Order: sequence, then C-alpha cells, then structure tokens
Amino acid sequence: MKSAKNTHYLQIDNKIEKICGSEGIEILPAKTAWEKYAWARKYFIDKPKTGYFIHVQKQPDHALSTCVSVSSRGVKQEMQNLMIIEENLKVSIKGVCNSIHKSFAGSHQAKGKIIVKQGAEVNYQQIHSWGKKNTVDTDYQFYLEKNSHLDHKYQVALPPKKLKASIRLTLLENAVANLETTASCAETEFDLKDVLMLKGKNASGMIKLRLAAGKNSLVSAYSQVRAEAEAKGHLDCQGLLLDKTAKVSLVPGLICSNKKAQITHEASIGKVSEEELNYLQMRGLTEKQALELIVNGFLQ
Amino acid sequence: MFFTVSNLKVSSQGKKILRGVDLKLKKGEIQAILGPNGSGKSVLGQTILGNPRYKVEEGKIVLLGKDITKLSSSERVKLGVVLSWQNPPVVKGVKLAQLLDKISKRKVSAQKLEADRLLDRGVNLNFSGGEKKLSELLQILSLKPKLVILDEIESGLDLKKTAMAAKIIQQELVDKNISVLLITHSGEILKFLRPKTINVMIAGKIICHHGGYEKVLKTIKDYGYEKCKKHALFADRQ
Repeated sequence: MKSAKNTHYLQIDNKIEKICGSEGIEILPAKTAWEKYAWARKYFIDKPKTGYFIHVQKQPDHALSTCVSVSSRGVKQEMQNLMIIEENLKVSIKGVCNSIHKSFAGSHQAKGKIIVKQGAEVNYQQIHSWGKKNTVDTDYQFYLEKNSHLDHKYQVALPPKKLKASIRLTLLENAVANLETTASCAETEFDLKDVLMLKGKNASGMIKLRLAAGKNSLVSAYSQVRAEAEAKGHLDCQGLLLDKTAKVSLVPGLICSNKKAQITHEASIGKVSEEELNYLQMRGLTEKQALELIVNGFLQ
Repeated sequence: MFFTVSNLKVSSQGKKILRGVDLKLKKGEIQAILGPNGSGKSVLGQTILGNPRYKVEEGKIVLLGKDITKLSSSERVKLGVVLSWQNPPVVKGVKLAQLLDKISKRKVSAQKLEADRLLDRGVNLNFSGGEKKLSELLQILSLKPKLVILDEIESGLDLKKTAMAAKIIQQELVDKNISVLLITHSGEILKFLRPKTINVMIAGKIICHHGGYEKVLKTIKDYGYEKCKKHALFADRQ
C-alpha cells in the first residue's frame, strides 16, 4: 500500500492494519469508542462491528488520512465511522476507499457521522477507487454547528459495479458547506442522494454535481436543498453522456419553509462537444486522449 | 513538392463546399488565401487537418509525397500539419498550461509571446480576440510544425497586435523555414508578411494565383471580391 505510511487509519477487509493517533487526535476502532465513551453512543446507529472513531481535540499540524480497502474475494465490510472536530479547529482529512484487486468481488458498506463543532473548518476529500465487481453503499451525515465551515469532495475515480451514496448535510446558524460530487462512470449503476438542510439563520451551502456516464452506465442523482431558516442554498447539477448506452437522471429539488430563504438550482445534461473533440485532435491528441481530457475538464 | 492539394472536392451535410481546389506549397514558402466570407477558406483549412465534419468527395492532400487525405487529425498533426483556428472553442475545465503539457513536442516560451498570463486560465474561456490568437500561436508553435495554416490570425487584433503576431510568425515560422498558409478575409496580415503568392478563393474554388499581394489587395478594395473573376488582373485563372 503506497499510502499506508502516512495513513492514520488503515483497514484491509475487516482487519485494522494500522491506527495511529497523536496528542489531541484520538483515533480508535469504532467498537472500542462505543465501549469507552458512553457519550459517543448516540452518534452510532447500534454497536459498530468495524469502522473508526476520530476525535480531533487539538489543532493538527498535518492532514489526517484514512484508507479502507477491500482485498479478499467476496469480503463484506460493514462500517460505522464517527469523526468529531472540536471547536475552532482547522482540519484537512483525506479518505480513500478502494479495492486492491480490481477483479475481485466484494462489498463495502459504510455509515458515517461527521460532527463539525462551532467555528471549526473542515476540508474533507473522499476518494473512491473500486473494481468492476464491487458493490458499495455509503451513507454519510454531516452536522455543522454555528459558524462552522465544510468543504467536502466526494470523488468516484474508479466506479464499482453498483454504488449507492447518500450524503446529508445539516447546517446551523452561519454554517457554510460546499459539497462537490464527481464521478466518471462506466458499466456502473450509481444512485446518489444528497440533501442540504439549512436549519440555522444565515447558513449557506451549495451542492455541485459533475457526473459523467460512459458505456452501460445508469446514473441517478436526487439532490435537495431544504430551507427552514433565512438561509441560502444552491444546487448545480450537470451530467455528461459519453455513450449511447448511458443514461443520466438528475432530479434537483427545492423545499422551502421560510419565506426569507433563497434557494436556487440549475441542472443540465449534455453530450461531448464535437467541436471541442475535433479541436483537441487537431492539437495531436487521439480521440481517446481528447475525450479523457474533456471528461477530466468536466469533472473539475 | 512539399505540400499539394489536388482537385479537392468537399461537402458537408450534403452541401458542396469546395469544388476542386488546387494548391502547391514549397518548403519554407509562405502563401495566402484571400476570399470573401463563405468562400470555403476555413473549410479548406479544416479539411487539410482532417475535420470529420467535412467529407472529401474527390481529390488528394499530399505532404512530402505521402497521401494524408484519409489520416486522422492527430496523425496529420504528428506529421507536422497544424492549424490555428479562427474561432477556437472553450475546452471546459482545462487550463491552457494543462493542454500545453499534453500536446507539446517542444518547449515554447509563453513569456516571449506575452501569453504567460493565459497559462492559468481555462482554454479560450473568456479570452479576448487577441488572447485567443496568442493562445493558438503558442499551441501550434509547441507542436513543432512543418506546415502551419493560420486561419484569420489577424481577426480581433488591432494593428499593433497584428504587427506583433506577424513578427512572431516571421521569427518563429518563416525564418525557420516552416511553410505557412495564411487564410485571410481582410488581408491586413499580408502587409507585414508579404507572401510571394496570393490565392483568391471564391465559391469553393481558387480562381487565381498571383504574385503581388499589394495589387490583389488594391483590386479587392477597388472592385470587391465579386468582381475578381472578371478582372484583368487574374489572367492566369484556372
């Protein structure tokens, strides 16, 4: 594992290979945290089997990283993860979920809660890199307390056979969240649900989707902004069809129960521009290289 | 002959655009194609580069004895044929520096072209007319070309910028023995680059070749393109 050296939590199949906290950054198996901290139990659905608990209580001087891999044929991961970032801390987190043997079947299921306390700032990048026989189901909930800030990138670099992802963001007063989901799909069924809940006054958030659907892909995204307070929210959903066998469905939704809230959306599904493709080929790129560059540009 | 186009007939969506174009270019030579809007000049440039939108019905394009008519665009570029687009499209999400990284065969100083400020911007995104042309020049120079087709390189440029573009073309292409085909509607660039041969294209056909660009420009200014066919200047029409 290339990244193992700098990883703070490394799990392969259902075994924790490395767990490495430091002063003010407590990292435990989720099961241990459940047993050790009664206060933490409310954040878990039930007693976790596997997963991690990360509690950042002191300003870290480096980015935190987690890596969860499926390695064995037919393995089934059922994780519950909890991250708590204490008040006014600035934290960068990189999470990688992947399969080591891309041809093996295996499933990854993860439910997570991320609590961003008052005034904290979190930059959280989650990268998924799977094999064609994997099935993946992730469900993450983010709670942003007053004046907190979250930038979250959920990136599907290599898609599994089936991917179900749910991301729910709850924002209290003055909290800010930017969620960006990018996926380049091929031979994949991707079902995404994301919700931005604006509960506090002056909260603001944006959900940005860039979903490219290649051969035999079915991509569905149901995105919602719900405003219960005087807050601002925006949905920016874009799909790109790369093949005649691909299908993209974008369903943006706005639900408002506060007359002072401003919530908006934009959504579009397009195909690759022939002109762009020809232009890049006239710069010496092959059709495949040109298409890759266009898709990467779209996902940026 | 370094580069030859023979009896090139091209259509697009069933419409005939080029009706038998003939052109010959020597190594290191600079020629121009002048013509009114819609005469097929840009289509000729795009066809030479293999844009699949334009179907070659008849004729051949030959570079250094090799028939390139059926090659893909990228194969033609590898052989050294490049085109600067008149209206290059935006490549969404891709910065000019990233594109140059992917395509460059040689390092070209963006600073020298006063294009360094463009490197960190999206390709052609919100570029002014002049910035587009600088970006195009930077890209084509980095492709290590043998034959450069410049489609309306002066459009969108003021006189000072046209002079600057002409200087770059002179120093980086003409002086380095790289063949240049200038496609132009206004002919402004010709005053700076003084090509030895001017080809006038009307209705999909090159109707004459002429040696003096000044005379041709004067004729067009005095009589317009529509009168070109009848004007005595074009005694050597095909």
